[in-house]
Amino acid sequence: MRRIESQIDTNAPDFKANYAAMSERLKEFHARQHAARFERPQRDIDRLARQNKLGVRERLKLLLDPGTPFLEFSTLAACREYDGVVPGAGVVTGIGIVQGREVAIHANDASVKGGAWYPHTVKKVVRLLDVALENRLPVVHICDSAGGFLPLQHGVFPDRYLGGRVFRNQVKLSQAKIPQIAVVGGHCTAGGAYVPTLSDYNIIIEGTGAIFLGGPPLVKAATGEEVGVQELGGAVMHTSVSGTGDYRAATEEHAFSLAREIVSQWKRTPKTIIETAAFEEPYYDPKELYGIIPKDRKTQFDMREVLARMVDGSRFHEYQPDYGTTMICGYAHIWGYKVGILANNGVLFNDSSLKAAHFIQLCNQNRTPLVFLQNITGYMVGREYEERGIAKDGAKMLMAQGGSVVPKFTVIANASYGAGNYGMCGRAWDARTLFMWPQAEIGVMGADQAANTMADVKIRQLQREGKELTAEEIEAIREPVLEKYRRDVEAYTSTSELWDDGLLDPADTRNALGMSISASLNAPIDDPNYGIFRL
Amino acid sequence: MQRIFQINGEETECWLSHDSSEMILNTPDGAIPCQLDPTGTPGGYMLRVRGRAHDVRLAAGPDVTFVHVNGKTYAIGRVDPAERLAGNESGAASDRLVAPMPGVVVSVNVKPGDQVEEGQPLLVIESMKLETSLTAPRDGVVAEIPFAEGDSFGLKATLALLAPEEE
Repeated sequence: MRRIESQIDTNAPDFKANYAAMSERLKEFHARQHAARFERPQRDIDRLARQNKLGVRERLKLLLDPGTPFLEFSTLAACREYDGVVPGAGVVTGIGIVQGREVAIHANDASVKGGAWYPHTVKKVVRLLDVALENRLPVVHICDSAGGFLPLQHGVFPDRYLGGRVFRNQVKLSQAKIPQIAVVGGHCTAGGAYVPTLSDYNIIIEGTGAIFLGGPPLVKAATGEEVGVQELGGAVMHTSVSGTGDYRAATEEHAFSLAREIVSQWKRTPKTIIETAAFEEPYYDPKELYGIIPKDRKTQFDMREVLARMVDGSRFHEYQPDYGTTMICGYAHIWGYKVGILANNGVLFNDSSLKAAHFIQLCNQNRTPLVFLQNITGYMVGREYEERGIAKDGAKMLMAQGGSVVPKFTVIANASYGAGNYGMCGRAWDARTLFMWPQAEIGVMGADQAANTMADVKIRQLQREGKELTAEEIEAIREPVLEKYRRDVEAYTSTSELWDDGLLDPADTRNALGMSISASLNAPIDDPNYGIFRL
Repeated sequence: MQRIFQINGEETECWLSHDSSEMILNTPDGAIPCQLDPTGTPGGYMLRVRGRAHDVRLAAGPDVTFVHVNGKTYAIGRVDPAERLAGNESGAASDRLVAPMPGVVVSVNVKPGDQVEEGQPLLVIESMKLETSLTAPRDGVVAEIPFAEGDSFGLKATLALLAPEEE
């Protein structure tokens, strides 16, 4: 495979200005990630110490193989909800390595509101278990939760993808013969009691771990019975009397070494074999991406320059290089894994949509995973394009993309607007992982367009009522709409709402993709199978 | 032409293939059986070819491999045939910059009569929320810029014209 020849001048003023702007954004991003992971009010840290419990990050350290990567999902989930006091939505999820095998991890963070389940907590856990199902990853649950956050129970409990879905997914995992283990390092109350009991194996830590459908206060209220935590659902009772618990651990350290021992007993299924090549770092430094992504989102840039800083050896075999040039298609390797890449280099036209559909079929035919690199403002509009059947050609692209059987991975690198998001494997289209860069935007249209449309409606309404508006009054209507919309399309809103699996420093993208691809190969790849293409 | 190697800057065509026991170097002048075995020293090999043994030292880099044999060092690079044989892709550059899609002119950087260099930005257009900078296809003199800032244009409209090149 040939190396991409970069045209970037790293001494150019534009490059330097972009680099400075991106560095500034990333400083903020890394600070926010650090805060979400580690910064807690002192009283919460004190309470954990008083309860003789380790923090969730220390627990992960005990569980995971030293020196191995942990692909954490949605670190900034709920960052724009609940006044920002529920960092990470109170739960840590991700893919890590235990005894040399990839596992999905779901760990309550008891330093956040006692690990209570907020609506976004449930969304994050359900997503993690979906990841486990799609990729056939064993699951390690680390349970330490106060239970559902009652004031918001309507957002935690009743609907299809809320609380019940956590347990439903556990059942589906078991049915699919994917093992699960739960380490109970705190209380598992009510619904929470089903996490360890639906797991194949569970370990209860003596003194701190407990499982019960109703805790002591609830029992007292319901029946008048007075009973302590340990007698009602402690490690000794469950492992020797009820059989609800499997193993009793003396300490946290003991619990996680037991968990590691159990994981090492599990049957190893061989991974799916795809084309690979020897691992190679990119020839061009991934940090140069900071200078390539324009400060102004409206400025066009060549996505090949991005690929050159993301793929092995900066090598890329481009398919149909002179046709439908706003859609770059081709093969490359990431962490040695061969992938088919679709990257936007402008608006999607008829030819670019057809090229994408054809390339997706090629990749499905030869079992090559797909990587979508989004910088898309949409499918082209206008009479000329409608007459050429842009909607029909877009439908072909969706049919091929949505009908894919190979694992798909999406990175929203810059713009993700309108139907372009759908064609390029947006959230609804089952990408195995979907990451976003901190400066990227997602929405049905750009902020200016949306603000103008919404403001126009309002202005016309007022005019109908006979009010003549001055330029200042129009601006006064437009400005707040624009401001709200700008915030709504920001990557921080997306990641807060779990429309993605997390934000990435662009230079880390290749590693996140490498881990995602590796994890995806725990599941087999089916034979290609499509719906009907509107030809 | 399956493989092109550059030996000390000079191109040769050859292709290394396997037999069950040895390697065969296929060259335009015929096939030469050979055998290369590590000697245990770093980069050290014994090359057996045409009944003789040669001490060889190899240092492999990403682009060039250095081979020291019989008191001489050779730099061997691999040339990608697809790249080497692609030829000069751009023929005569066009005089005309044509609109890739309908849009609006955001800014114009040059005026008729200006001398421009290949790759120099001539004007910026906006379409579908994207600003694209259109650059000169070759060195030349601007003959015409039909649209001004703020003007709309249709698909395939001429956005800039260079004076024809004199032969």
